[in-house]
Amino acid sequence: MGLEEKLPSGVLLTTVEQVAGYARKGSLWPATFGLACCAIEMMAVGGPRYDIARFGMEVFRASPRQADLMIVAGRVSQKMAPVLRQIYDQMANPKWVLAMGVCASSGGMFNNYAILQGVDHVVPVDIYLPGCPPRPEMLIDAILKLHDEIQATKLGVNAIKAQDIQESLALTAPATLEMRGLLP
Amino acid sequence: MPELPTAVRGFGVTFRTMFKRVVTEQYPEAAAKYPPKPRFHGRHQLNRWADGLEKCIGCELCAWACPADAIFVEGADNSEGGRFSPGERYGRVYQINYLRCIFCGLCIEACPTRALTMTNEFELADNNRTDLIFTKEDLLAPLQAGMVLPPHDMVPGFTEKDYYAGKVIGATDTGSATDTAKEST
Amino acid sequence: MTIASGSEQTQTDLVDVVVDDINVRVPKGTLVIRVAEQMGVEIPRFCDHPLLDPVAACRMCLIEIDGVPKPQPACAITVADGMKIRTQRTSPVAEKAQSGVMEFLLLNHPLDCPICDKGGECPLQNQAMSSGRGETRFEGKKRTFEKPIAISSQILLDRERCVSCARCTRFADQIAGDPMLELLERGAQQQVGVADDAPFNSYFSGNTIQICPVGALTSTLYRFRSRPFDLVSTPTTCEHCASGCSLRTDVRRGEVTRRLAWDDPEVNEEWNCDKGRFAFRYIRQDRIESPLVREDGRLRPASWPEALDIAARGLAAAQGRVGVLTGGRLTAEDAYSYAKFARVALRTDDIDFRARMASDEEAQFLAALVAGQPLGPTYADLDAASNVVLVGFEPEDESPIVLLRLRRAALKANTRVWSISASLTGGLAKMQGTWVPCQPGAEAQVMDDAQKDGSDDAFGAALRTPGAVLLVGERLAGIPGALSAAAALARNTGARLGWVPRRAGERGALDAGALSGLLPGGRPLTDPAARREVSDLWGVQADELPRYAGRRGSVPIAQSADAVIVAGVDPVDDPQGEQLMAALAGDRFVLSLETHHGPISELADVVLPVAVDAERAGTYVDWEGRSRSFGTAISGVTTVTDSRVLAMLADAMDESIGRGDVMELRAELATLGHWTGDRMSAPDVRPAPPAAGGLRLASWRLLLDLGRMQQGEPHLAGTARPTEAVMSAATAASRGLTEGSLVTVSTPDGSLTLPLRLDEVAHDTVWLPMHSPGCSIVQDLGAVPGDVVEVVPGGPR
Repeated sequence: MGLEEKLPSGVLLTTVEQVAGYARKGSLWPATFGLACCAIEMMAVGGPRYDIARFGMEVFRASPRQADLMIVAGRVSQKMAPVLRQIYDQMANPKWVLAMGVCASSGGMFNNYAILQGVDHVVPVDIYLPGCPPRPEMLIDAILKLHDEIQATKLGVNAIKAQDIQESLALTAPATLEMRGLLP
Repeated sequence: MPELPTAVRGFGVTFRTMFKRVVTEQYPEAAAKYPPKPRFHGRHQLNRWADGLEKCIGCELCAWACPADAIFVEGADNSEGGRFSPGERYGRVYQINYLRCIFCGLCIEACPTRALTMTNEFELADNNRTDLIFTKEDLLAPLQAGMVLPPHDMVPGFTEKDYYAGKVIGATDTGSATDTAKEST
Repeated sequence: MTIASGSEQTQTDLVDVVVDDINVRVPKGTLVIRVAEQMGVEIPRFCDHPLLDPVAACRMCLIEIDGVPKPQPACAITVADGMKIRTQRTSPVAEKAQSGVMEFLLLNHPLDCPICDKGGECPLQNQAMSSGRGETRFEGKKRTFEKPIAISSQILLDRERCVSCARCTRFADQIAGDPMLELLERGAQQQVGVADDAPFNSYFSGNTIQICPVGALTSTLYRFRSRPFDLVSTPTTCEHCASGCSLRTDVRRGEVTRRLAWDDPEVNEEWNCDKGRFAFRYIRQDRIESPLVREDGRLRPASWPEALDIAARGLAAAQGRVGVLTGGRLTAEDAYSYAKFARVALRTDDIDFRARMASDEEAQFLAALVAGQPLGPTYADLDAASNVVLVGFEPEDESPIVLLRLRRAALKANTRVWSISASLTGGLAKMQGTWVPCQPGAEAQVMDDAQKDGSDDAFGAALRTPGAVLLVGERLAGIPGALSAAAALARNTGARLGWVPRRAGERGALDAGALSGLLPGGRPLTDPAARREVSDLWGVQADELPRYAGRRGSVPIAQSADAVIVAGVDPVDDPQGEQLMAALAGDRFVLSLETHHGPISELADVVLPVAVDAERAGTYVDWEGRSRSFGTAISGVTTVTDSRVLAMLADAMDESIGRGDVMELRAELATLGHWTGDRMSAPDVRPAPPAAGGLRLASWRLLLDLGRMQQGEPHLAGTARPTEAVMSAATAASRGLTEGSLVTVSTPDGSLTLPLRLDEVAHDTVWLPMHSPGCSIVQDLGAVPGDVVEVVPGGPR
């Protein structure tokens, strides 16, 4: 992943992580992926009242090569899924995905054959945002939560360690089928 | 009348705007200044009676009304020493999947006991799907003054009909309900 | 417009009536509500039920008849010639009468629909919406009762909700013959109730919940579990006994929440028994989740390929010396797969589905008279029969729907029921049957005597009447000569012979060829034409099939084999269970295809998990020989059927028996059909001379007992019959035993102490339940019915 590959491993990286995280979160450029009603709220976030420029995100890029964050705003139909994946593939690393609204997150009220039941079926989602549609504040809140995650991103060997930990957790985690809670 | 060069005229817009009030809402720094309207549809809440018993009777009417199939409820029997709500039945399992919920409020309209209402809370984003399925513990209203954590008996001398009629005004006023609750917990 | 139920209606049978200004001709005696139904007019009703006698208790179906001053109940008035009927569609009088009745019914109804289990599928709710008022005018205080009260451990009664339609009381009285429910008190205090000391412990109590038009009767099991709109329903067939009831299985989120009786006029009508309705939670208990293989003496989870590989090597090593025990719980398709797998892949004929009391005589009887025979005698034949003789068969405990049919036939159609049995049971009394007392073990002698020339046995004469039916139970296998005698009796009297097994899969397994010496469809293994038909379909040479009939009985098969495949066998069912377990524990390879952990899976070398009924489709063949197919109720599970496992196993052994797909297997079974050629002759075994001394032990399994599939159902178990010894007053007096006192029943192998009840029992005979709590005659006494036991007063010494 870019910068960290050029660096020697070691203590130095703890501060580089901080700096890199700060830089990355401070200039997160969204790729527009407005698909439905959520896109209207996303546009409002770009306008003066909510002014996403306050977070260094004013440039909504229509070109995936220049974007870091894909905001999937709206229900994704089965036909749109490969297009969405292609846009994602064309984005340069590091990149993040925000599933905006319940349709992008899980299919929402459209539990039918035409709609993808969650955009995480085709791309890895970093943050899920409920709402139908979410108000602009909710989107900003989601973006800020994502910022925190970006800030805490590990680099180099630390990233590999973090991945290993995550993988071992995932291996021991119960299957979704087994997570029944209070259900019989 | 000679016209100013367009470049300068453009600055005029900028100059005039400098004296206008800034419309940008400083969310999240000054979030308190821009609260949602009181009727905003935010996260749900499961309410309690004045003595702390749950209002939810597990009737599943909210689940029936839900157009997105976001609510899962399973009722159970209130037993002796295991009473969570007045009457026979309480909601043992209550789940709302916020990745399905469209905040339409039909569940609120369907609720026969006003157990389910909506708050103004909207900061719900999370990084995984599991945590966005809110269970009963997440949704239950916090205990207010005078409330006792269920399970405990109904206030002595009152039936479920008195609860529905709003006659119960607290567990502490009667004293004994609190004692039984302490014994059972 | 003419409405006629039969095509051969003569003009005199029909009457002209006018319903809502439409002229119709209907059979005389039809109820007005049925006429309206057939015309598409839905008259609201609560008490009316097509299978119960009219009572006109709820008054909801009021209609107007010209010339009659007041509205009349449509459910109790039969049509007369020239009658002019107006329903709520055209008559304001009828409409007002109905909405008035609805208002009265709702006066005392608590309207607690949100907490009521019936909410969402409630006729009262629906009809209050269609013919009720929006607002109540009632300002008084509603009548209240304590709610709910348990009228049995399974059934809860909420009297506030009751509309006094008397459906439940009429069902209990007219259909089940357990008149424990009754309407008590009068006026506003009228309520359904039971006597204080007699809970509603009927075997059919669950039906009252289903026919209750309000939420007054609910079950403990389903209480507050779900709402009808959450349930996904699938038509299924009951797996508990050979009655073949149609059920509706309701599933919520991959869990079976309840089962209802489904309407099948040819079999169970709209009823079923409580075992079929309430015993389904075994599905989730103690299931085997993954393949298990034995390593260093312990079973450990393994992957499917690994387990299949080990199993295939184990079976291949014992090629030709493999035994297959399939039990009586498999579907017909699965049994057929075992039959095919044994003959094609294992090249053995050592296969037997009878993991219970079994004999060679029985196998011969089944091969000659039952296997692959077309439908019959049927339930309809029981309805129409002049006389029905039961031998070694207690319908109430062993096939409850047969009891309901025989009871109705006896009460309404003058069918006479005879039972050759050790005791005059309550079930026989319900059928108003005639008891032919017979010491256990002497059935063969009694039947033989009836055939002798000049015999004056009344039941023998009864069997000679046209349309008579002789029903023999599976238990006769334990009595030497009994099945031979039954076959001869049927042959000599011309009566139709029916064989009623206890388990749902037995008849299907027999027809599918899961018995040595029999190929599918009742084909004898030794018949060249039969071998050719089967081998052509199976894609093998006829001479590749086993040449000679294999061994019979689970113990001989297990003892002589190097490897054994065991599926769905419960050693508790088998009087020789201990020998079977000892044989399996010996030095032989044991492959177990099982749903639940149990004694056999514990000692197997490889355990392969298979699906239970709700998780797969299949077919049961009921005692009539009727195929009862069912679909998958719980979809999305990963468990596989026995057939699929056998197909994979055959692949691993480089053999081919097909894909194991249920549709494919059904098609193969249909292609084979019934065998029409020569069959084995019926057995001719002489009855054994009666043993001397002591008391004879009579026994059978009660409907609700310690069966594996009823475990984890405390509410159901609460309605079971008490465990007690039964004998006649004379026998008890001769041994100084008194009613209600504890007695000790003993054999050389063990003893049991239980309370004594005096009833009509054959002389010198004591009846015990076979496998009930505190009394398991095989395990505790080492005895089988017909054995000699000693009974002495008092508890254990």
